[in-house]
Amino acid sequence: MAAAVAFVVGATTLAPSFTRRDTGWLRAAALDALPDNQPVPVTLRVTRQDGYSQVVDRTVVYLVRTGDQEVRAMHSTCTHLGCRTAYDRKSKQILCPCHGGVFDVQGNVVSGPPPAPLATLATRVENGDVMVQI
Amino acid sequence: MTGRLLEWLDHRTGYRSLRRHLLEEPLPKGTGWAFTTGSAVMFLLGIQLVTGIGLTMYYVPAPLLAYDSVRYITDTLAYGWLLRGLHYWGSTFIVLAAAIHMLRVFFFGSFKAPREVTWITGVVLFLLILAFSLSGYLLPWDQKAYWATTVTINIARSSPVIGEYLADVMRGGSHLGALTLGRWYSAHVFLLPAALILFVVAHIALMRRHGISGPIKVQPGPPLPFYPWHAIKDTVVMAAVFALLVTLAMIWPAHLDEIANPADASYVPRPDWYFLSLFELLKYFPGPFEPLATQVIPGLIVGFFMALPFLDRGGDRRPFSRGRLPVTLAVLIIGGGIVALTMKGLIDSPAKYDPNDWGPRAIAGHQLVTAPDNKCATCHVSGGSAAALAITRITKDEEWLLSHMADPVAIAPGVRSEGDPAPPPHMTRFQSQSVIAYLRRIRAGATPPQLEEGDRQAANTFSNMCAGCHKIAGEGGESAPDLSHVGLRRDAAGIKRIIRDPTTEFPDTMMPPYGERLSEEQIDALVQYLSKRQAGG
Repeated sequence: MAAAVAFVVGATTLAPSFTRRDTGWLRAAALDALPDNQPVPVTLRVTRQDGYSQVVDRTVVYLVRTGDQEVRAMHSTCTHLGCRTAYDRKSKQILCPCHGGVFDVQGNVVSGPPPAPLATLATRVENGDVMVQI
Repeated sequence: MTGRLLEWLDHRTGYRSLRRHLLEEPLPKGTGWAFTTGSAVMFLLGIQLVTGIGLTMYYVPAPLLAYDSVRYITDTLAYGWLLRGLHYWGSTFIVLAAAIHMLRVFFFGSFKAPREVTWITGVVLFLLILAFSLSGYLLPWDQKAYWATTVTINIARSSPVIGEYLADVMRGGSHLGALTLGRWYSAHVFLLPAALILFVVAHIALMRRHGISGPIKVQPGPPLPFYPWHAIKDTVVMAAVFALLVTLAMIWPAHLDEIANPADASYVPRPDWYFLSLFELLKYFPGPFEPLATQVIPGLIVGFFMALPFLDRGGDRRPFSRGRLPVTLAVLIIGGGIVALTMKGLIDSPAKYDPNDWGPRAIAGHQLVTAPDNKCATCHVSGGSAAALAITRITKDEEWLLSHMADPVAIAPGVRSEGDPAPPPHMTRFQSQSVIAYLRRIRAGATPPQLEEGDRQAANTFSNMCAGCHKIAGEGGESAPDLSHVGLRRDAAGIKRIIRDPTTEFPDTMMPPYGERLSEEQIDALVQYLSKRQAGG
């Protein structure tokens, strides 16, 4: 009986944790609006199911134009402990306010505690629009 | 009659022997004020339990509603601010009181045989108290709650092997959201209290089983009963603690940030003081060494305290005796390290965001929605088809709101087609952003300030001409410097020079000159307003 109750409570507790979300392509910006080699923060509206409710997440990604038809998209979430980073125009670096992590415009770690570069997202250019997979 | 009734009750329940057992505990002679720390912790646990029950009558564990319900408790409910203030300060007091109690037990050598298990249950209780604080953080669903919990979950995620799974379980999925709040609430009000009561009962039962250790130097003489000699001391300490708690809760009521906003990069998260040392420690362990700061060092410290009665086994209770010295030094080094890191964290903390600081955008928005000809009042009015703006709670994201303000008839952004084109916008984008800033400030519980005509004019000018690039009080663009405290950096003459022609100070600036675009009156009002923006540093 104890095992049965533990199974039911355990399963209902853990089930949502292991449900994966589908990804989709979203339009992020017009290609012409992006300057070369400079991260532009773009807020994406991502609709998702949040348990019993549906929410619109406002996810911020950096778009960096790296070539004629090439754009690199990166999560703005610091890989250290999940704080939101911000692009500093003066130093041309991406900074994390929590523990002083510093990334270059390509998302590589320059200094500080982040263990990995900023996570990249798949991109493609379609009719002059930058599409991001999220 | 009463005597016979009590006689009957005692016969059936045995309450008199229980009372005797509780009150007549013999205490060694010389058991003084130092032995009241445990009672203070118990008292504070009781305060947390009772105020916590009070809060659950109003609190709703669902995002948006969580924030609004805490806002209601804080701003509207009679004495709600005090109820929340007591619970908020109670959490700080309890961590402090528990730490003081542990230090007292350590320095008096009270954990030594036969009280090893009593000590271990005490260490578990301290960890439970920290778990309470941690899970209580998230519940208000404000900026601090959201970001502090994000950091906490990512600390768990950095665990080797099981990290990702652990984070998923703590979040209830891949994102921090409704399911996270539900499970943390459940832990805070059911799971942790159950564990706490279990360990408190065990701790006190063990304390009674072995008796109070008493002063280090045994004093000759018969033991004294707990009641009334020690009960008086306990009561005095509890009353003093309570008086301090109420005073602090009244002077500095519990703060509530703006509602959680995952897209806001301007918020700098900092945990409460009792986790600040851990937060600071993380700065010193980059990349692959991070688990050292998040798990290994805290784990070793907890392990050390758990094992303390077995590391420090000699009979001598004096803390600086030769046998005890190494362990005492270790405790002092750990304690000193925690205090030093906490102090460093406090010094590094950014200035607190002031919810009553109405930036120019919010002021301009307030003027827009209270103007006699404002279009919002077509619907947003008492008795109208939507709630009056002064009591409106934002439930949509910024893009939706901007689209709604430009074209209120359309139900969502992007639904207009060629056959149904959008009418000319009701408001400019700058005006809509000002109204959103106003709504945010209202939701953060701030009342609109009384301002002079000049400041109102400056707010309008700033919102329409400057806020696209410059930020003040968290509202505005990010492509130019934040002007929240510009009055500290420049005097009125300097500000005026830059507004008229910025190239006089910054030859390469992108900012256009405003000498021709703004009237002399507008520039003067703006300069006056900006030079007054000094507070906060």
